[in-house]
Amino acid sequence: MDKIVMVFYYLLTALVAAVVFWNFWLEKKNVDRMVLYLLVLVPFILRLLRVK
Amino acid sequence: MSRVKIILLAILTIILTISGVQLYRHRHYPLPVVAGPGVTHVGRLSDYLPSLKGTMPDTLIFFLEGREPGGKALILGNTHANEPEGLLAALIMVENALVEKGTLVIIPQFNHSASRTTRPGDGYPLYFDIPTPWGKKRFRMGNRDASPLDQWPDPDVYIHYPERQLLSFIDARNVNRTWPGRSNGLPMEKVTFAAMELIKKEKVDVVIDIHGAETMFPVTNCIVAPEKSAKLATMVSLTVKAMEKFDNHVEPSPPKFRGLSHREIGDYSEAMPFLLEAPIPFLDQPTGPKTEKFLLDGKDPFLLRLAGKKKLFVPYDESGWPMEKRVGQHLSVTLEIIRQFSRRTPERAILIRDVPRYAEVVEKGVGYYFHDPAQAPKERVYLN
Repeated sequence: MDKIVMVFYYLLTALVAAVVFWNFWLEKKNVDRMVLYLLVLVPFILRLLRVK
Repeated sequence: MSRVKIILLAILTIILTISGVQLYRHRHYPLPVVAGPGVTHVGRLSDYLPSLKGTMPDTLIFFLEGREPGGKALILGNTHANEPEGLLAALIMVENALVEKGTLVIIPQFNHSASRTTRPGDGYPLYFDIPTPWGKKRFRMGNRDASPLDQWPDPDVYIHYPERQLLSFIDARNVNRTWPGRSNGLPMEKVTFAAMELIKKEKVDVVIDIHGAETMFPVTNCIVAPEKSAKLATMVSLTVKAMEKFDNHVEPSPPKFRGLSHREIGDYSEAMPFLLEAPIPFLDQPTGPKTEKFLLDGKDPFLLRLAGKKKLFVPYDESGWPMEKRVGQHLSVTLEIIRQFSRRTPERAILIRDVPRYAEVVEKGVGYYFHDPAQAPKERVYLN
Protein backbone atom coordinates (compact mmCIF):
# COMPACT_ATOMS: atom_id res chain seq x y z
CA MET A 1 0.00 0.00 0.00
CA ASP A 2 2.79 2.44 0.96
CA LYS A 3 4.51 1.79 -2.37
CA ILE A 4 1.31 2.44 -4.31
CA VAL A 5 0.86 5.77 -2.49
CA MET A 6 4.50 6.61 -3.27
CA VAL A 7 3.99 5.89 -6.98
CA PHE A 8 0.99 8.23 -6.98
CA TYR A 9 3.12 10.94 -5.38
CA TYR A 10 5.71 10.57 -8.13
CA LEU A 11 2.92 10.84 -10.71
CA LEU A 12 1.63 13.99 -8.96
CA THR A 13 5.17 15.39 -8.98
CA ALA A 14 5.47 14.72 -12.69
CA LEU A 15 2.11 16.40 -13.30
CA VAL A 16 3.03 19.53 -11.31
CA ALA A 17 6.42 19.68 -13.05
CA ALA A 18 4.72 19.45 -16.44
CA VAL A 19 2.24 22.23 -15.51
CA VAL A 20 5.05 24.49 -14.27
CA PHE A 21 7.07 23.85 -17.42
CA TRP A 22 3.98 24.52 -19.57
CA ASN A 23 3.53 27.88 -17.84
CA PHE A 24 7.18 28.65 -18.56
CA TRP A 25 6.61 27.69 -22.21
CA LEU A 26 3.55 29.92 -22.54
CA GLU A 27 5.20 32.94 -20.95
CA LYS A 28 6.28 35.23 -23.76
CA LYS A 29 7.50 38.51 -22.25
CA ASN A 30 7.93 38.52 -18.48
CA VAL A 31 11.48 37.24 -17.79
CA ASP A 32 10.96 37.40 -14.00
CA ARG A 33 8.11 34.90 -14.32
CA MET A 34 10.19 32.65 -16.56
CA VAL A 35 12.95 32.55 -13.94
CA LEU A 36 10.38 31.94 -11.22
CA TYR A 37 8.87 28.97 -13.06
CA LEU A 38 12.30 27.41 -13.58
CA LEU A 39 13.29 27.88 -9.93
CA VAL A 40 10.06 26.19 -8.84
CA LEU A 41 10.83 23.37 -11.25
CA VAL A 42 14.23 22.49 -9.68
CA PRO A 43 13.07 20.39 -6.66
CA PHE A 44 10.45 18.61 -8.77
CA ILE A 45 13.05 17.51 -11.31
CA LEU A 46 15.52 16.45 -8.57
CA ARG A 47 12.81 14.31 -6.97
CA LEU A 48 11.68 12.78 -10.27
CA LEU A 49 15.29 11.85 -11.04
CA ARG A 50 15.55 10.42 -7.48
CA VAL A 51 18.54 12.61 -6.72
CA LYS A 52 17.10 14.52 -3.73
CA MET B 1 11.45 29.62 -28.57
CA SER B 2 12.95 32.98 -27.67
CA ARG B 3 16.63 33.43 -27.05
CA VAL B 4 15.90 34.38 -23.43
CA LYS B 5 14.16 31.05 -22.83
CA ILE B 6 17.05 29.10 -24.34
CA ILE B 7 19.53 30.92 -22.11
CA LEU B 8 17.37 30.34 -19.00
CA LEU B 9 16.94 26.64 -19.81
CA ALA B 10 20.69 26.32 -20.33
CA ILE B 11 21.32 27.93 -16.91
CA LEU B 12 18.74 25.60 -15.32
CA THR B 13 20.45 22.59 -16.88
CA ILE B 14 23.84 23.71 -15.57
CA ILE B 15 22.44 24.30 -12.04
CA LEU B 16 20.66 20.93 -12.05
CA THR B 17 23.74 19.12 -13.33
CA ILE B 18 26.15 20.68 -10.81
CA SER B 19 23.85 20.24 -7.80
CA GLY B 20 22.47 16.88 -8.96
CA VAL B 21 25.91 15.33 -9.45
CA GLN B 22 27.02 16.50 -5.99
CA LEU B 23 23.89 15.14 -4.31
CA TYR B 24 24.04 11.86 -6.26
CA ARG B 25 27.70 11.35 -5.32
CA HIS B 26 26.91 12.07 -1.66
CA ARG B 27 24.08 9.51 -1.61
CA HIS B 28 26.32 6.88 -3.17
CA TYR B 29 29.63 7.69 -1.39
CA PRO B 30 30.93 4.49 0.23
CA LEU B 31 32.45 4.91 3.69
CA PRO B 32 35.23 2.34 4.16
CA VAL B 33 35.25 0.73 7.61
CA VAL B 34 38.22 -1.43 8.62
CA ALA B 35 37.01 -4.33 10.76
CA GLY B 36 39.43 -4.39 13.69
CA PRO B 37 41.01 -7.45 15.32
CA GLY B 38 37.99 -7.90 17.60
CA VAL B 39 35.41 -8.22 14.80
CA THR B 40 34.44 -11.90 14.49
CA HIS B 41 31.71 -11.55 11.90
CA VAL B 42 29.67 -8.93 10.06
CA GLY B 43 25.96 -9.19 9.39
CA ARG B 44 23.14 -6.98 8.22
CA LEU B 45 19.94 -5.70 9.75
CA SER B 46 18.06 -7.62 7.06
CA ASP B 47 19.29 -10.85 8.69
CA TYR B 48 16.62 -10.06 11.32
CA LEU B 49 13.94 -8.80 8.89
CA PRO B 50 14.43 -10.13 5.33
CA SER B 51 12.10 -7.54 3.77
CA LEU B 52 14.84 -4.93 4.40
CA LYS B 53 17.26 -6.77 2.14
CA GLY B 54 18.37 -4.76 -0.88
CA THR B 55 16.88 -1.50 0.46
CA MET B 56 18.82 1.62 1.48
CA PRO B 57 17.74 1.39 5.16
CA ASP B 58 19.52 -2.00 5.47
CA THR B 59 22.82 -1.53 7.30
CA LEU B 60 25.91 -3.38 8.53
CA ILE B 61 26.15 -4.99 11.98
CA PHE B 62 29.58 -5.75 13.45
CA PHE B 63 29.84 -8.58 15.99
CA LEU B 64 32.81 -8.65 18.37
CA GLU B 65 32.65 -11.92 20.30
CA GLY B 66 34.92 -12.76 23.20
CA ARG B 67 36.47 -16.18 23.81
CA GLU B 68 34.47 -16.55 27.01
CA PRO B 69 30.66 -16.38 26.94
CA GLY B 70 29.08 -13.52 28.86
CA GLY B 71 26.62 -10.70 28.38
CA LYS B 72 25.86 -8.73 25.24
CA ALA B 73 25.86 -4.99 24.56
CA LEU B 74 24.43 -3.29 21.47
CA ILE B 75 25.89 0.08 20.40
CA LEU B 76 23.92 2.29 17.98
CA GLY B 77 25.59 5.16 16.10
CA ASN B 78 23.96 7.56 13.62
CA THR B 79 20.43 7.06 14.88
CA HIS B 80 20.48 10.71 13.87
CA ALA B 81 23.01 10.99 11.05
CA ASN B 82 23.56 14.73 11.65
CA GLU B 83 25.05 13.89 15.08
CA PRO B 84 28.28 12.28 13.86
CA GLU B 85 29.92 11.80 17.28
CA GLY B 86 27.82 8.63 17.60
CA LEU B 87 29.11 7.28 14.30
CA LEU B 88 32.73 8.14 15.16
CA ALA B 89 32.55 6.57 18.64
CA ALA B 90 30.98 3.41 17.18
CA LEU B 91 33.62 3.17 14.45
CA ILE B 92 36.49 3.62 16.94
CA MET B 93 35.06 0.60 18.77
CA VAL B 94 34.68 -1.42 15.55
CA GLU B 95 38.26 -0.68 14.48
CA ASN B 96 39.97 -1.10 17.87
CA ALA B 97 37.99 -3.01 20.49
CA LEU B 98 39.04 -6.45 21.66
CA VAL B 99 36.40 -8.34 23.59
CA GLU B 100 37.67 -10.84 26.14
CA LYS B 101 34.31 -11.92 27.52
CA GLY B 102 30.78 -11.53 26.22
CA THR B 103 29.80 -9.87 22.95
CA LEU B 104 29.73 -6.35 21.58
CA VAL B 105 27.29 -5.75 18.72
CA ILE B 106 27.80 -2.45 16.88
CA ILE B 107 25.59 -0.79 14.26
CA PRO B 108 27.56 2.34 13.27
CA GLN B 109 24.96 3.71 10.79
CA PHE B 110 21.64 2.81 12.36
CA ASN B 111 19.66 5.20 10.14
CA HIS B 112 21.61 4.33 7.02
CA SER B 113 19.13 6.13 4.76
CA ALA B 114 19.53 9.38 6.78
CA SER B 115 23.31 9.21 6.39
CA ARG B 116 22.79 9.47 2.62
CA THR B 117 20.81 12.70 2.51
CA THR B 118 21.29 16.25 3.73
CA ARG B 119 19.05 18.73 5.50
CA PRO B 120 17.27 20.99 3.00
CA GLY B 121 17.73 24.70 3.63
CA ASP B 122 20.25 24.54 6.45
CA GLY B 123 23.41 24.68 4.33
CA TYR B 124 24.97 21.58 5.84
CA PRO B 125 28.31 20.45 4.39
CA LEU B 126 27.89 17.20 2.45
CA TYR B 127 31.03 15.67 3.98
CA PHE B 128 33.46 16.20 6.82
CA ASP B 129 37.09 15.10 6.97
CA ILE B 130 38.84 13.77 10.06
CA PRO B 131 42.65 14.09 10.03
CA THR B 132 44.44 10.79 10.68
CA PRO B 133 48.14 9.80 10.77
CA TRP B 134 47.76 8.45 7.18
CA GLY B 135 45.73 11.35 5.68
CA LYS B 136 42.15 12.55 5.87
CA LYS B 137 39.26 10.14 6.33
CA ARG B 138 36.09 11.42 4.66
CA PHE B 139 32.62 10.84 6.15
CA ARG B 140 29.16 11.62 4.80
CA MET B 141 27.30 14.27 6.81
CA GLY B 142 23.72 13.07 7.05
CA ASN B 143 20.38 14.34 8.30
CA ARG B 144 18.23 13.65 11.36
CA ASP B 145 15.57 11.87 9.31
CA ALA B 146 15.67 9.22 6.60
CA SER B 147 15.85 10.31 2.99
CA PRO B 148 12.46 10.92 1.36
CA LEU B 149 13.84 8.88 -1.54
CA ASP B 150 13.52 5.85 0.75
CA GLN B 151 10.28 6.73 2.58
CA TRP B 152 7.78 9.06 0.96
CA PRO B 153 5.26 10.67 1.32
CA ASP B 154 5.16 11.74 4.96
CA PRO B 155 1.79 11.34 6.70
CA ASP B 156 -0.08 14.46 7.89
CA VAL B 157 0.32 13.15 11.45
CA TYR B 158 2.56 10.26 12.42
CA ILE B 159 0.66 7.76 14.58
CA HIS B 160 3.11 5.77 16.68
CA TYR B 161 2.76 1.99 16.69
CA PRO B 162 1.64 0.34 18.96
CA GLU B 163 0.88 3.15 21.45
CA ARG B 164 -1.06 5.26 18.90
CA GLN B 165 0.41 8.51 20.23
CA LEU B 166 0.16 11.36 17.72
CA LEU B 167 3.59 12.67 16.77
CA SER B 168 4.93 15.19 14.28
CA PHE B 169 4.68 14.08 10.63
CA ILE B 170 8.46 14.34 10.20
CA ASP B 171 9.06 11.78 12.95
CA ALA B 172 7.79 9.02 10.67
CA ARG B 173 11.31 9.17 9.19
CA ASN B 174 13.07 9.50 12.58
CA VAL B 175 14.21 6.11 13.92
CA ASN B 176 14.23 7.52 17.43
CA ARG B 177 10.44 7.82 17.25
CA THR B 178 9.59 4.51 15.57
CA TRP B 179 10.63 2.03 18.29
CA PRO B 180 9.62 -0.76 18.76
CA GLY B 181 8.53 -0.79 15.12
CA ARG B 182 6.58 -3.38 13.13
CA SER B 183 7.48 -5.85 10.43
CA ASN B 184 4.92 -4.54 7.90
CA GLY B 185 5.15 -0.83 8.69
CA LEU B 186 6.97 2.11 7.14
CA PRO B 187 10.66 1.49 6.29
CA MET B 188 11.85 3.22 9.49
CA GLU B 189 9.43 1.12 11.56
CA LYS B 190 10.99 -1.92 9.89
CA VAL B 191 14.47 -0.73 10.89
CA THR B 192 13.56 -0.50 14.58
CA PHE B 193 11.57 -3.74 14.39
CA ALA B 194 14.66 -5.54 13.00
CA ALA B 195 16.77 -4.06 15.82
CA MET B 196 14.20 -5.28 18.38
CA GLU B 197 14.40 -8.75 16.81
CA LEU B 198 18.20 -8.58 17.16
CA ILE B 199 17.89 -7.53 20.82
CA LYS B 200 15.49 -10.39 21.58
CA LYS B 201 17.13 -13.16 19.53
CA GLU B 202 20.69 -12.33 20.62
CA LYS B 203 19.54 -11.79 24.23
CA VAL B 204 21.15 -8.34 24.43
CA ASP B 205 21.55 -7.04 27.99
CA VAL B 206 22.50 -3.40 27.40
CA VAL B 207 21.65 -1.04 24.51
CA ILE B 208 23.55 2.24 24.15
CA ASP B 209 22.19 4.72 21.60
CA ILE B 210 24.74 7.50 20.96
CA HIS B 211 23.59 11.03 20.04
CA GLY B 212 24.45 14.71 20.12
CA ALA B 213 22.18 17.57 21.23
CA GLU B 214 22.10 21.36 21.00
CA THR B 215 23.73 23.43 23.75
CA MET B 216 20.45 25.37 24.08
CA PHE B 217 18.44 22.16 24.63
CA PRO B 218 18.13 21.04 28.26
CA VAL B 219 18.54 17.33 27.46
CA THR B 220 22.21 17.61 26.52
CA ASN B 221 25.48 16.37 27.98
CA CYS B 222 23.62 13.58 29.71
CA ILE B 223 22.57 9.95 29.92
CA VAL B 224 18.85 9.43 29.33
CA ALA B 225 17.68 6.35 31.18
CA PRO B 226 14.32 4.77 32.01
CA GLU B 227 13.50 3.49 35.50
CA LYS B 228 15.20 0.11 34.99
CA SER B 229 18.52 1.74 33.90
CA ALA B 230 18.47 4.77 36.21
CA LYS B 231 20.57 3.40 39.09
CA LEU B 232 23.30 2.20 36.80
CA ALA B 233 23.25 5.48 34.85
CA THR B 234 23.62 7.43 38.10
CA MET B 235 26.65 5.36 39.11
CA VAL B 236 28.17 5.96 35.67
CA SER B 237 27.53 9.70 35.89
CA LEU B 238 29.16 9.94 39.32
CA THR B 239 32.12 7.79 38.27
CA VAL B 240 33.04 9.72 35.13
CA LYS B 241 32.68 12.98 37.07
CA ALA B 242 35.01 11.75 39.83
CA MET B 243 37.53 9.82 37.72
CA GLU B 244 37.58 11.64 34.37
CA LYS B 245 36.46 15.13 35.40
CA PHE B 246 33.61 15.69 32.96
CA ASP B 247 29.91 16.22 33.62
CA ASN B 248 27.28 13.84 32.24
CA HIS B 249 24.12 14.11 34.30
CA VAL B 250 21.21 11.66 34.25
CA GLU B 251 17.87 12.55 32.66
CA PRO B 252 14.82 10.34 33.28
CA SER B 253 13.16 8.85 30.21
CA PRO B 254 9.61 10.29 30.11
CA PRO B 255 7.16 7.35 30.33
CA LYS B 256 4.50 9.06 28.21
CA PHE B 257 6.68 10.14 25.30
CA ARG B 258 6.60 7.17 22.95
CA GLY B 259 8.81 5.83 20.22
CA LEU B 260 12.19 6.67 21.73
CA SER B 261 14.91 4.03 22.14
CA HIS B 262 15.38 4.71 25.86
CA ARG B 263 11.66 4.15 26.45
CA GLU B 264 10.53 1.38 24.08
CA ILE B 265 13.58 -0.92 24.27
CA GLY B 266 13.17 -1.02 28.03
CA ASP B 267 9.42 -1.57 27.85
CA TYR B 268 9.39 -4.14 25.03
CA SER B 269 12.50 -6.23 25.85
CA GLU B 270 14.62 -7.43 28.74
CA ALA B 271 17.49 -5.10 27.75
CA MET B 272 18.52 -1.99 29.70
CA PRO B 273 18.57 1.02 27.35
CA PHE B 274 20.70 4.16 27.66
CA LEU B 275 20.75 7.17 25.35
CA LEU B 276 23.89 9.31 25.45
CA GLU B 277 23.90 12.99 24.54
CA ALA B 278 26.96 15.18 24.00
CA PRO B 279 26.68 18.90 23.18
CA ILE B 280 26.94 19.63 19.45
CA PRO B 281 26.86 23.41 18.89
CA PHE B 282 26.51 22.85 15.13
CA LEU B 283 22.86 21.88 15.68
CA ASP B 284 21.95 25.07 17.56
CA GLN B 285 19.90 27.58 15.57
CA PRO B 286 21.34 31.03 16.42
CA THR B 287 24.82 30.39 15.04
CA GLY B 288 27.02 31.47 12.17
CA PRO B 289 27.34 29.39 8.96
CA LYS B 290 27.10 25.61 9.31
CA THR B 291 30.62 24.91 8.10
CA GLU B 292 32.69 21.75 8.38
CA LYS B 293 35.09 23.61 10.71
CA PHE B 294 32.23 24.56 13.03
CA LEU B 295 30.99 20.95 13.03
CA LEU B 296 34.43 19.76 14.15
CA ASP B 297 35.53 22.48 16.61
CA GLY B 298 32.12 23.61 17.92
CA LYS B 299 33.30 27.24 18.12
CA ASP B 300 30.77 29.98 17.42
CA PRO B 301 30.81 33.69 18.44
CA PHE B 302 27.01 33.92 18.74
CA LEU B 303 26.84 30.96 21.12
CA LEU B 304 29.70 32.52 23.09
CA ARG B 305 27.62 35.67 23.59
CA LEU B 306 24.60 33.58 24.58
CA ALA B 307 26.77 31.67 27.07
CA GLY B 308 27.63 35.06 28.64
CA LYS B 309 23.87 35.66 29.07
CA LYS B 310 23.48 32.17 30.64
CA LYS B 311 21.24 30.93 27.82
CA LEU B 312 23.07 27.63 27.30
CA PHE B 313 22.68 24.40 29.27
CA VAL B 314 26.39 23.52 29.14
CA PRO B 315 29.58 25.40 29.95
CA TYR B 316 30.82 27.19 26.81
CA ASP B 317 33.95 29.27 26.23
CA GLU B 318 36.40 30.15 23.43
CA SER B 319 37.49 26.51 23.18
CA GLY B 320 34.00 25.49 21.90
CA TRP B 321 32.99 21.82 22.06
CA PRO B 322 35.47 20.02 19.78
CA MET B 323 34.69 16.62 18.30
CA GLU B 324 37.46 15.01 20.41
CA LYS B 325 35.66 15.96 23.63
CA ARG B 326 32.29 14.73 22.37
CA VAL B 327 33.57 11.40 21.06
CA GLY B 328 35.83 10.93 24.13
CA GLN B 329 32.89 11.47 26.49
CA HIS B 330 30.77 8.97 24.58
CA LEU B 331 33.48 6.32 24.66
CA SER B 332 34.16 6.76 28.38
CA VAL B 333 30.47 6.70 29.29
CA THR B 334 29.88 3.64 27.08
CA LEU B 335 32.80 1.76 28.65
CA GLU B 336 31.67 2.79 32.12
CA ILE B 337 28.08 1.58 31.53
CA ILE B 338 29.42 -1.80 30.39
CA ARG B 339 31.86 -1.95 33.33
CA GLN B 340 29.20 -1.09 35.91
CA PHE B 341 26.78 -3.59 34.35
CA SER B 342 29.48 -6.29 34.44
CA ARG B 343 30.20 -5.59 38.12
CA ARG B 344 26.53 -5.97 39.02
CA THR B 345 25.89 -9.11 36.96
CA PRO B 346 29.21 -11.04 36.79
CA GLU B 347 27.55 -14.02 35.07
CA ARG B 348 26.68 -11.68 32.16
CA ALA B 349 29.92 -9.67 32.25
CA ILE B 350 31.32 -8.03 29.11
CA LEU B 351 35.06 -7.35 29.19
CA ILE B 352 36.46 -4.99 26.55
CA ARG B 353 39.95 -3.60 26.04
CA ASP B 354 41.82 -1.31 23.62
CA VAL B 355 39.03 1.25 23.39
CA PRO B 356 40.38 4.73 24.27
CA ARG B 357 38.76 6.81 26.98
CA TYR B 358 38.05 10.55 27.21
CA ALA B 359 41.55 11.86 28.06
CA GLU B 360 43.25 9.74 25.37
CA VAL B 361 40.86 10.86 22.62
CA VAL B 362 41.19 14.53 23.64
CA GLU B 363 45.00 14.18 23.59
CA LYS B 364 45.48 12.15 20.39
CA GLY B 365 42.39 13.15 18.37
CA VAL B 366 39.63 11.04 16.87
CA GLY B 367 41.49 10.23 13.65
CA TYR B 368 44.39 8.60 15.51
CA TYR B 369 42.19 5.53 16.06
CA PHE B 370 41.15 4.95 12.44
CA HIS B 371 43.08 2.49 10.28
CA ASP B 372 44.06 3.11 6.67
CA PRO B 373 41.67 1.11 4.45
CA ALA B 374 44.31 1.11 1.67
CA GLN B 375 46.74 -0.76 3.93
CA ALA B 376 44.20 -3.17 5.46
CA PRO B 377 43.46 -6.62 3.98
CA LYS B 378 40.60 -6.23 1.47
CA GLU B 379 38.43 -8.80 3.20
CA ARG B 380 38.55 -6.67 6.37
CA VAL B 381 37.30 -3.49 4.67
CA TYR B 382 33.52 -2.97 4.58
CA LEU B 383 31.77 -0.20 2.69
CA ASN B 384 28.98 1.29 4.72
